Amino acid sequence: MPVFRWGQPWDPLHNLEREVDRLLQGVSMTLHGVRFGRSFPQVNLHETTDSYILMAEIPGNDVSELDVTIAANCLTIKGTRLPPEEAREDTFRRQERFHGPWQRKIQLPDRVDEDGMTADYSNGVLRVTLPKAPSSEVRRIKVNQDNAQ
Amino acid sequence: MTDHQNVNKLPELSALIPATVEEPTTPRLLFNPPIDIYETPEGLVLYADLPGVDSSGLDLQVQDNRLTLFGRVTSLESESAQMLHQEYQVGDFLRSFILSDEVDHDRIQAKLTNGVLRVELPRAPRARPRRIEVSGG
Repeated sequence: MPVFRWGQPWDPLHNLEREVDRLLQGVSMTLHGVRFGRSFPQVNLHETTDSYILMAEIPGNDVSELDVTIAANCLTIKGTRLPPEEAREDTFRRQERFHGPWQRKIQLPDRVDEDGMTADYSNGVLRVTLPKAPSSEVRRIKVNQDNAQ
Repeated sequence: MTDHQNVNKLPELSALIPATVEEPTTPRLLFNPPIDIYETPEGLVLYADLPGVDSSGLDLQVQDNRLTLFGRVTSLESESAQMLHQEYQVGDFLRSFILSDEVDHDRIQAKLTNGVLRVELPRAPRARPRRIEVSGG
């Protein structure tokens, strides 16, 4: 998918555009490996007609250490990713992976049915399905007239 | 060059992708997974984050002192879903390493758990000192 586009395909700048595309894709490829400064885990939020789906890349987290909660339409996921037990700090030759406690809070764009929420974790990807709450019926409020006086 | 996809620029990758999977012309993103490497008394241990890769999508090869790992990600999102917020892109993982001669290639072991690959690279047993008989002239 082109990241950068201008003009028509037959435009003389087409080749330049393609080169820039290639360059930009190369940049995103390099940045993905370097996770420093990026929040962990990375999340994507999708919307279908009847639900919101949150996907998060959390490789190597034990299911028992994954905590998914929702309050006031704000979804919180948290956990801890431990470094390998037998590894001492001075034996690392390279350390690029994130270790430690992490937490993300995601404000949902609309009301969700909190009881219908489901989450599953497979191959290091967390998927939380949040069904949209049925829109509440219009409720008429009776206006009382103050007849006391 | 007619095709500028990253996939086609890497010669070693075409050999890794099994022929049975979808058309090789489908553009796919390719990422460099983050890794940890540390030493143990037995050798080296490598960890790589490969979220979304299961054991059938993982290919680990050693050839001419080069260890290559390739993980194919099967996307879980359905086509009908609309993206509201995106922080990561779904793509495959590729990274290769040059192994030192100390690594015993025949005893390399790998395990994939919860999207994390652990590869054990044991040190080759050191060759015993051999006494050379010196024959007197």
